Amino acid sequence: MEITIKGQHALHEEVRQAKFCTGCGACVNLCPYHAAHGDQIVMLHACDIKEGRCYAYCPRTPTDMDSLRKQLFNTEDMMPEVGAMKGFYVVRAGDEKLRSGAQHGGTVTALMILAMQEGFIDSAIVADEGDGLLPKGITVNIPDEIGKKGKSRFVVSPNVAEFNALAWVGGRKIGIVATPCQALALGKMRAKPVPTHAERIDQLKLVIGLFCGWALSWEKLSALIRSKGVDLKDIEGMDIPPSKYQLLQVYTKKGTVDIPLDEVDPACVRGACHYCPDMTAEFADISVGSARLPEGWDVAKGWNQVITRTSLGEQLLALARSKGVLEFRKVPKGNLERLKKASMSKKKTAEKNLAIRNGQPKDNINMDSQNPGLDNV
Amino acid sequence: MSKITKNQKGLQFLLMGNEAIARGALEAGVNVAAGYPGTPSSEIVETLSKVAKEMHLYVEWSVNEKVSLEVAAAASFANLRALCPMKQNGVNVASDFLLHLAGSGTRGGLVLVSCDDPGALSSVNEGESRHFARLVEIPLLEPGNFQEAKDMTKWAFELSEEIKSIVMLRSVTRMSHASGSVVYGPLPDKTAKGYFKSDGFILDPDTGPVISAPVGYKHVVQQEKVKKAREIFESSPFNTYEGPSMPELLIITSSACTLYSREAVRLLGLENRVGLLKLGTTWPLPPKLLKKHLSATDKILIVEEVLPFLEENVKVIAAEEAKEIGAKTFYGKNDGTIPMNGELNPDIVIKAFGHILGVSYVPMTPEYEKKAQLTAFTMAPNREQTFCPGCPHRASFWSIHQALQIDNRQGFVCGDIGCYSMAALPCGFSTIRTLHSMGSGLGVASGFGKLEMFGMNQSILAVCGDSTFFHSVMPPLVNAVHHRANVTLVILDNSGTAMTGFQPHPGLGVDAMGGEAPPVDISRVCEAIGAKVEIRDPFDIEETRNTLSRLLKEDGVKVLILKQICALSPEKKGKKKYTMSISETLCIGEECGCNRLCTRIFRCPGLVWDKERKKTRIDDVICSGCGVCSLICTTGAIIRKEAV
Repeated sequence: MEITIKGQHALHEEVRQAKFCTGCGACVNLCPYHAAHGDQIVMLHACDIKEGRCYAYCPRTPTDMDSLRKQLFNTEDMMPEVGAMKGFYVVRAGDEKLRSGAQHGGTVTALMILAMQEGFIDSAIVADEGDGLLPKGITVNIPDEIGKKGKSRFVVSPNVAEFNALAWVGGRKIGIVATPCQALALGKMRAKPVPTHAERIDQLKLVIGLFCGWALSWEKLSALIRSKGVDLKDIEGMDIPPSKYQLLQVYTKKGTVDIPLDEVDPACVRGACHYCPDMTAEFADISVGSARLPEGWDVAKGWNQVITRTSLGEQLLALARSKGVLEFRKVPKGNLERLKKASMSKKKTAEKNLAIRNGQPKDNINMDSQNPGLDNV
Repeated sequence: MSKITKNQKGLQFLLMGNEAIARGALEAGVNVAAGYPGTPSSEIVETLSKVAKEMHLYVEWSVNEKVSLEVAAAASFANLRALCPMKQNGVNVASDFLLHLAGSGTRGGLVLVSCDDPGALSSVNEGESRHFARLVEIPLLEPGNFQEAKDMTKWAFELSEEIKSIVMLRSVTRMSHASGSVVYGPLPDKTAKGYFKSDGFILDPDTGPVISAPVGYKHVVQQEKVKKAREIFESSPFNTYEGPSMPELLIITSSACTLYSREAVRLLGLENRVGLLKLGTTWPLPPKLLKKHLSATDKILIVEEVLPFLEENVKVIAAEEAKEIGAKTFYGKNDGTIPMNGELNPDIVIKAFGHILGVSYVPMTPEYEKKAQLTAFTMAPNREQTFCPGCPHRASFWSIHQALQIDNRQGFVCGDIGCYSMAALPCGFSTIRTLHSMGSGLGVASGFGKLEMFGMNQSILAVCGDSTFFHSVMPPLVNAVHHRANVTLVILDNSGTAMTGFQPHPGLGVDAMGGEAPPVDISRVCEAIGAKVEIRDPFDIEETRNTLSRLLKEDGVKVLILKQICALSPEKKGKKKYTMSISETLCIGEECGCNRLCTRIFRCPGLVWDKERKKTRIDDVICSGCGVCSLICTTGAIIRKEAV
């Protein structure tokens, strides 16, 4: 597939103005012309370069997925529903204290700490929060500090921007926690589409992807939470339990606040997410999500489901097992099938939404920037 | 001793029009001069302020034109002679007082000098001030050359005292700022004493109170004054005629257009066919004089800037006298012979001759014009308007622009008048989106700041300078605070009235005559009005941007004073704080990751893009050493070192 790399103007028109932008941050900190403010990407000045890295790295510009997959993964490992899979596991962090400070099974946190302790990486980029839920990416160089940033956010944190800034400085081994769109952007960067500063991506050593259904718009979510009388400063964490509960749970210093999911989805969902076909972060080294167990959510909420996609991913997981950093349990029968079904459902929805937007029933490759999108970006 | 004060009749000097006006005032024995800086009028007060001590004058840069006219009027009420110069739109600012002053009358000679700017060479309008004379019913004079600029100013004081009315003298940029030969008259011994007598009979113009009421009576008196002036004008030496007794075409003109017309006539050798009636007394028009000249011809061309003021007034007389002098053919603005806008020049008058008299003269062949334009476009260096190297405004607007973009609410800036007005252009990153008159930025912003109830969700900023603040920004600040508008005012305090030549204003510790004066503290005034005030150095761009980003999110009226002295101020000029250099290894120039941020977007004139080496370099001669560019370079290629 012939891909044309364009510049900032096209990026602005085809992605930002068309409301396809996922806020991943891949276009930020490459140059002085973009900035991230919370989950929004803003243009600071106009750039007239014909072929820009911003356009090349953006996960929402035309991408030759086939070619990218071939470059990054083994063809034998490819599963159409969930991407490359070397292994599928149900795990949780071995350290109970770590688990309580993190989300669900604490697997992402545990793996990142292990990677740093073992020297795979010297810097970990994770999501953090500024005032009032405002997301931002931060770099952590001390294993202990990783544990402090272990809670889930439901608003996109532009972590790739933090990667770009760090990689610019140079001389690092970087690990990053990434949403599916961020993993895709990093994957596109790994393919080195533009020669300028292409060697910087070599500093990326580990991508831990997160399962993702959609992200919420920071503006809409913070307004909703405030309307429930919650002071954003009091928030300690958030979760969305399995769909049968139909809730967004907000954990505050004063207790848990349950918000009906129908007030959140679709009203607060980031519009661009409706066109995303990737639930399991198919371009990561390891992808992690919450588990489903026969005992039910009360038990399952303390575990994770993990897909390893690259040999590094397998290697890290094996190391985690041998050091007791992760506890493993037998994968329940049907879990993979359930996961595949869920993932396919997201793909079908994305395809349907694209078709509606483009007015073409079979078009699931091209995002039509001429058709203005939904209200939430 | 200055050349302007040499007391010897018959001396000849090359004087700027404004200097000639100042000399004229001195020869009239002027006592007080008050004004507000405004191009092209500023040199009048400046010239007088330099000789204030020597000539025992009181010279003031007032806070705005209205107050300057009030200050000058007070001198007149106290039987002293006063001069009040301003630019064309200054008359608009002073107009309410002017209207009432015309009604109340004056005592000591009072001359209002209005310097218009046809073509808006230094303005954002080319409004005409001549209409004010007709509107408020006072006499109007227009010098047609530099000698007249002096002579008519001197005579204006005499006329003013004779009819006890303020007299308006109107100049234009090409008269005020061009220079010509002027022969001096003597300087008088001044014996005037200032005393305001007001306890006489209420209607007595010399001893009673100075009031424009009772209007019924005073208006009649005022109109009598105008009639008297008209009588005097019939024989004024400032209305001149040159040409044949029965010209084929009569040009009626005034002011600088006299020179364009005369040059056009000479170029085409039409001295025997075209007569030139130059009017120096242009309101009220002397009807007998005009009737005499109108009856000597069938065709009349009126050449003036900017609007058809003379043209329409002449046509009224022609209509009134039509029965006796017959119908005439008029050429001018209303029929499209002369443009209705912009500045004129000899070529325009020549073109008119072509149209009326059938003479052809091509100033430039079409081929040459095309060649000249192409050459200018491709070979002449880009000379767009920009801020000086080291200008604090460039740094301020850099931060304002960044803050607005990151704020991501389609915010905008309501602009005001000063050097910083240029921020509507790329040199200020096109941040200013409304621009009108002095003090209007905050006024308009105060209006925008109340539109939230109609769904308006944009961030609203206004900018103004330190001099502009005192001129007319305080009332809208009170308005914004009292009405709880959500706006942020950025005061760009560069310690002077920079745009017009760095004159002092009440925020500084010095007055027009160079004496010490108590400064008025802008931040305390804003706090007293009730705004939240913070002060930053715009050269610290990160701190400025962070402060502004925070303020944009707050409700109410916030004032951010960005304090950094103008690059051209005497304290700073010629002194570099930093020595600047470029690291060619770090400079990535046109590459993705920079794309010439410093020379393409920031664009300080001290930064030059070297096309051959594909790197930026510093022009050491132009660079003022402010160091700000090193803060915006993303690769650290611009290096600043503290100058020894």
